Amino acid sequence: MSEDTDGWRRLDARMLLVHPLETLIRFLPALLAVVLFRSGSDANDRWELYAIPLIVAFGVLRWLTTRYRIADGQIELRRGLFTKQTTTARLDKVRTIDLTARVYHRLLGLAKVEVSTAGGHHDRLVLDALGVDAGRRLRAELLHRLDPAVTGLPAPTGAPMAVEDVPREAPPRVDDELLLRLDPTWIRYAPLTVTGLASAAAIVGFATQGFSRFSQERSVFRDGASLVSRLSWWADVLLLLGIVSLLAVGAYVLTFWGFRLTRNRLGTLHTRRGLLTSRETSIDAARVRGIRLDEPLGLRLAGARRLKVVTSGLLREQGGSDWLCPPAPADVVTPLALRIRPDEAAVSGPLTPHGPAAQRRRLTRAVVPATLVAAALVAARLLWDWHGSLLVLVPLILVGAVALGQDRYRALGHTVTPGHLVSRHGSLDRQRIVLDRDGIIGWKVEQSFFQRRVGVATLVATTAAGAQHYDVVDVPLEQAYAVLAHVSPELLADFA
Amino acid sequence: MLREPAHRVSRRAVLMWTIQALVVLAVLLAGQVVWWLVDDSPSRSLHWIVGAVWLVAGAAYAVAMPQWRYRVHRWEATSRAIYTQSGWLRQERRIAPLSRVQTVDLERGPVAQLLGLASVTVTTASAAGPVTIHGLDLPVAHELVDALTAAAVAETGDAT
Repeated sequence: MSEDTDGWRRLDARMLLVHPLETLIRFLPALLAVVLFRSGSDANDRWELYAIPLIVAFGVLRWLTTRYRIADGQIELRRGLFTKQTTTARLDKVRTIDLTARVYHRLLGLAKVEVSTAGGHHDRLVLDALGVDAGRRLRAELLHRLDPAVTGLPAPTGAPMAVEDVPREAPPRVDDELLLRLDPTWIRYAPLTVTGLASAAAIVGFATQGFSRFSQERSVFRDGASLVSRLSWWADVLLLLGIVSLLAVGAYVLTFWGFRLTRNRLGTLHTRRGLLTSRETSIDAARVRGIRLDEPLGLRLAGARRLKVVTSGLLREQGGSDWLCPPAPADVVTPLALRIRPDEAAVSGPLTPHGPAAQRRRLTRAVVPATLVAAALVAARLLWDWHGSLLVLVPLILVGAVALGQDRYRALGHTVTPGHLVSRHGSLDRQRIVLDRDGIIGWKVEQSFFQRRVGVATLVATTAAGAQHYDVVDVPLEQAYAVLAHVSPELLADFA
Repeated sequence: MLREPAHRVSRRAVLMWTIQALVVLAVLLAGQVVWWLVDDSPSRSLHWIVGAVWLVAGAAYAVAMPQWRYRVHRWEATSRAIYTQSGWLRQERRIAPLSRVQTVDLERGPVAQLLGLASVTVTTASAAGPVTIHGLDLPVAHELVDALTAAAVAETGDAT
C-alpha cells in the first residue's frame, strides 16, 4: 500500500474491479434495451463495447483521485479530478460507522465504510471501498479513539498516522458482550410488520405488471392467469396472503440473516446482519440517547416486539441501521432493552394515562372520518345504485373505528423515571420511547385550537438524536408542565 | 405552572403581519382577475360568489390574525434559557437552555426592513428545536443576539 508524505491514503485497489461492475449493474436496463434493439436489426456494429474502456478509465481516475487521511484530530476525504472536493469531519464528532458489503464486495473482501458525524444527516464520509480488515481497523480507530488500550495506539489527534499501523488483529473480541443473536424461528413474525407487508406489496405490484406483459405471449402465464381467475374470491385472497407472506419472509431473511448485537467494554453497540449484502453498524455509546420499543398491531397480537436505538448521527436513508433487534418475542426484547437501559420502570413499568379529554379526542379522530366514509357508501347506494352488499361494510367500518380509537387511547401514556422520559402512543404503529433525560435539549408545549378548549397539550421534547423530537400527545396541560418541571427544574426556575 | 414570557414583541409587528396577510390577499386577487379574463361564459355570478367568499374570509384574517398573534407573541431570555410563546389558532411555547444553543441568527425580511423590525432565531443541535422570535424592534434584536451569543460562547461541549 502506498502512502505519500502527508499521510494521505488511497482506497483499496480491488475497487478497480468493483467499479466497472457497479457501473454495469447501474446501466443494466440501458444495456438490455440495447441488446433488445440489436436483436431486431441487422447491424453488426458493437458500438456499446467502446463504453467499456471508458468505464474502466473512469474507475481508475476515481481511484487515483480519491484519498483520505486521519490527521490533526480529523478525518479528511478528498476526491474529484476537475472539481476537487474535500470533506472533513472532526474525530470527536464521529457518531456511527457503517460497513456495508454487497455480494461483489464480499467476493473481493471489500467493504464500503460510511462515517456519519453530528450536525445533520448529510454530514457523512463514504469510503467506497476499503478491504474489510482495513475498514474494521479504521472503525476501531475512529470509535475507540478515547481508549488507546483498545487500538494499542495514542489517540489519533496527534501526528499523522496510517490506518495500516493498527495491529492486524481486530480489537479484542474476548470481552465483547453478545447481547442478541437471531433465532431463525423469529422469521415467523416477518409477515406481521407493516414494513414487511409494504415491501412485499411493492414486489407483488411490480411482478404483476411484468407478468401482464408476458402473459399475452406465454401459454404458461396465460394458463396460470385463467386458473387464478376461475378460483373463488377467498382462494384469491388466500393465494395473495400466501405470496405476500413468502415475500415478507424473504425480505426478512435478506435483511436480518445472522443478525447479531454485541457491546464492547466501552459500551459501543455493534450490529451485524444481512444474507447477501452484509452490513455492520457501530454506534458510539456516548451518542445513544435512548431506545424505542416498537409494538405494531400485528406483532403485538403475536406477542412480539422490536427494538431500535435513538442516537445522533445515524444514516437515516439507510433503513434499518438503528435496529437493535428485529421482530422477536417480547420475552427476548424486553430483557434486551433492560440490558441496554437498565431501568425497569421506564422499559416495562406502568404509564400515567392521559385522561378523558384525550380519550374523547382519540375517538373523535377515528370515528369522524369513518362516519364520512360510511355516509359516502350509503349515498352511493342511494344515488348511484351501487351493489347492496357494500352496506355490510358500514357497521364494520364504524365498529373498527371505535376499536381503533379506544386502542389508540389505551396506548397513550407517559412517565418520568430518575433517568428517562417515557412516552407511548399509536395503535397500528405503537411505540414506546425511552428517552434519556440528559439527551433532551429543549421543550415545546403545543396546543391547537381544539386542544386548548379541552385543556390538553402536546409536550414535545427536542433532542439531537433519532427523530429529533419525541412527543407526549394530548396530555393534560398541568401534567405537561409537571413533567417539564420534573425533568428540567433549573429551566423552569426562571419562569415559574 | 409556567407563567407567560415577560416581553411583548414590537407594536409594529401587527403592521408587519397585516402587510403579510394583504400580500396573500393580493395573490388571491390576481388569481381572481386571471379567472375573470380567461373565463368565456357570459354568466359572472360564480365569480362574484367566489370573490365574496374569499374577500370576507381574507378580510377577517387580515384584521383578526395580526391582533391575535400580537396578544400571544411573547418572549424572555435569561442567563440560562430562552423562552417564547407564539402562534394564534395553534399556539406553542418553547424553551431552550442556552447551554445547548448552536447558532443565533438575526433575519430581516423586506417588510421587516421597511418597519425597522427583525426576527431572531436560536437553533440547537435538534432539527426540531429552533426558537424564533418574530417582530422585534431592531435595537432590541441586536441586544438580544449579543446577549445570547455571549452566553453560548461561555458554554463548552458540543451541545448535543
